[in-house]
Amino acid sequence: MTDKQMFLIYLSQFNLPIKKIDEVLDLMEYPSIDNFVKLKDLRQIFNSDLVNEMIDRAEDRKVSMYFANLRGNEITVVTKGDENYPKKLVELPDAPYYLFCKGDLSLFDSKSISIVGSRTPTNYGRIVTDRLAGELAKSGFTIVSGLAVGIDSIGHRKALEVGGKTIAVLGSGFNNIYPSEHSALAREIAENGLLISEYCPSVKSTRYTFPFRNRIVAGLGDGVLITEASAKSGTMHTKDFALDYGKTVFAVPGNITSEKSALTNELIRSNQCVCVTCVEDIYHELGFTDEKKEKRVFVQLDMIQQKIVEVLKNGEKDIDSISRECNLNINSLNSYLTMMEISGIIRRMSGGVYMLA
Amino acid sequence: MLAKVSSFGLKGIDGFPVEVETDITNGLPHFDVVGLADTAIKEAKERVRSAIRNSGYEYPIKRITINLAPADVKKEGALYDLSMAVAIISLNKDSKLKNVEDYCYLGELSLDGQVKKVKGVLPILISARKLGYKKFIIPFDNAIEASFIEGIDVFPVKSLTECIDFLEGKAELEKVKVGNYQKEIIAHTAVLDFCHVKGQERAKRALEIAAAGGHNVIMIGPPGSGKSMLAKCFPSILPDMTFEEALETTKIHSVAGELDLKKGILAIRPFRSPHHTASTVSLTGGGNGSKAGEISLAHNGVLFLDEMPEYSRHTIETLRQPLEDGVITVARANSTITYPANFMLIASMNPCPCGNFGSKLKECTCTPNQIHKYLAKLSGPIMDRIDIHIEVDNVTYDDLKNGKEEEKSSSIKARVDKARDIQLKRFKNTKIYYNSKMGVAKTKEFCKLDKNSDDLLRMAFEKLKLSARAHDRILRVARTIADLEGEENILPQHIAEAISYRSLDRKYWG
Repeated sequence: MTDKQMFLIYLSQFNLPIKKIDEVLDLMEYPSIDNFVKLKDLRQIFNSDLVNEMIDRAEDRKVSMYFANLRGNEITVVTKGDENYPKKLVELPDAPYYLFCKGDLSLFDSKSISIVGSRTPTNYGRIVTDRLAGELAKSGFTIVSGLAVGIDSIGHRKALEVGGKTIAVLGSGFNNIYPSEHSALAREIAENGLLISEYCPSVKSTRYTFPFRNRIVAGLGDGVLITEASAKSGTMHTKDFALDYGKTVFAVPGNITSEKSALTNELIRSNQCVCVTCVEDIYHELGFTDEKKEKRVFVQLDMIQQKIVEVLKNGEKDIDSISRECNLNINSLNSYLTMMEISGIIRRMSGGVYMLA
Repeated sequence: MLAKVSSFGLKGIDGFPVEVETDITNGLPHFDVVGLADTAIKEAKERVRSAIRNSGYEYPIKRITINLAPADVKKEGALYDLSMAVAIISLNKDSKLKNVEDYCYLGELSLDGQVKKVKGVLPILISARKLGYKKFIIPFDNAIEASFIEGIDVFPVKSLTECIDFLEGKAELEKVKVGNYQKEIIAHTAVLDFCHVKGQERAKRALEIAAAGGHNVIMIGPPGSGKSMLAKCFPSILPDMTFEEALETTKIHSVAGELDLKKGILAIRPFRSPHHTASTVSLTGGGNGSKAGEISLAHNGVLFLDEMPEYSRHTIETLRQPLEDGVITVARANSTITYPANFMLIASMNPCPCGNFGSKLKECTCTPNQIHKYLAKLSGPIMDRIDIHIEVDNVTYDDLKNGKEEEKSSSIKARVDKARDIQLKRFKNTKIYYNSKMGVAKTKEFCKLDKNSDDLLRMAFEKLKLSARAHDRILRVARTIADLEGEENILPQHIAEAISYRSLDRKYWG
């Protein structure tokens, strides 16, 4: 490990803004912990409490304790300039100096797509995200997202479910997973994908950390896919970062009556993004051809199942309408629907509504 | 001069004999009641004196002491008035009363000598019959209630005069005729019928299964989707109560003073819907005198908890043990009473605090965290006791306006009755009456799956991400569905249907 790497990892425990680190690095010809504590201007850059703490923690024993602690928690820290450091981030103006990582580091340089959107998606948003994330993950794309509830977690879960890869970028330290009910999901991602954060494990999330980490979400994807987002959504930040970084933004159109699709529809209307109606739209734009793509298997449907599929082609329906339109009694319809759901032909959404999968 | 007259007291829903011993001696005029009597009994002296005088009998200006034996058991209520008055009159010098000790007296007196209705006549008569008491004089208003007990002679009286005339042999009293329970059942027609509920086919079907197998139900849906309406119709498809069941339930209602005395017996299953501000004690029973709570009043019937997450958590948790055991033991410092509480739970809730999550008509405005917290109010152990989850959404205009004739409750009930018969045969010689009460061992024995069904269930668990606790519940519900179809074995379609009633186990919530 070089002195500079050591130095940056040492700095990571103080949760410093990127600008301050820039400033410090500018002052030093040869960055290292020793040179750092000897800096004359230290007390002008940081307040004296922090400087005292920095000098205290710069002791060899304490530095190695911090390192051992990270290793003990199976956390790898990659710093800007490492060969492990994601190449996609290097060029960014506000790239993090260090990233805490758990999991498979090789995913940084895989072909990837970021999937973002509303935290409270509608049934439509759920199913669209589920479908696109599934197909993208199956054809080898790494799904990048922010471990939030809603679209984020649907993307992560689907990727894991189909055996694909996924990266979750946290807006907090590893010890303070937010929302806490996603702790299990985070563990699973660390095992089968990659969990990263620019905050040291003890840092708690604030209202500023989430929008800020969105730049990493935007930066790590080869493109950014927005499946459903309302006009004032936090997804705006991710979109802005992506456009700044020159990434392609993909958006799924929605009903013009649905507030939850306001952002995506607006992006499409103003020509800021690529309109996505199927996964091929994304492949085409990114110049990717999917050789592995399995031909869709058509399950042999019997008469009644065909009838149900016909009815559902017009959009989501609740069971009473299906029963009325197919002229089926509720008992047998109930078991038909469950069986079709198990074989993956239809999906049941919240509110007892069914739609074609 | 001493007279002993029989009467009865109430402890919980059982009666115990009380001897009203009356002693009249010379001395300063005085009236005293001893024997752990409550205020209502202490005040009896005023009622008794006025009633005797106003009925035209002589009230002795002497020292009167009344002891209610056994003296160490608390006694409550005004039902001893009549026995005290009879005892005092019988001690008159020129009294012509005969066979006073042959009867057991119950009744409250009004100042003009009228005999008023009292609580708990039915449970008292049942206990008294067991103990060998044969003849009773009771308030006229309680006559119908008493008519359902065979093997005893019950004489209803309207006033103290009527009672004394009878005892003197001056007048005859007509015995209460034995009532006909079957007639009562027919006379009770449910006001709310499923044919008034438009649409909601799945919910109706689920309630039919619930009624057939005694499964507890939770309904989830936005406000105004008809959850309460469905619940209120539910008793109309439950099997008729057997006479024994009816007596048991009537006993509790009689003690609580909630019985409709014109009908005399509860021929229709009780439907209790306490408001969500209900205190824990009002639900479980307790308080002064360890009274029966809502869950006991719902015995053999339905307890409907509307907006379940709004109840205090502690209150809901107290239902765990009665849901399992069918009884509740109310233990207080001065008495411990076990009430039956074998009820079916029907709960309803909104899917989120604003109520519109998953609705097709309105947008939900709750944050994911709010939804998560709302659903988390129902603890695992409580959810473990609820077999069927129904999602109810707002009815569309199409549903309201379509001319389709909705099925009547009576025809649904016919199917339910059939399914219950099958279950009664299956569980002969056990203490179980219906499928939902099967334990782990019984579930294994009676819910065997063939290979196809087993494969289906396994696939469902993998694909639909059901939680493990759903497994046995699905089997039990599938068993009931098979019983409704008259099938000996559980078939794949039964399993498939049962799975569709486990929506809260699915991951799409929150």
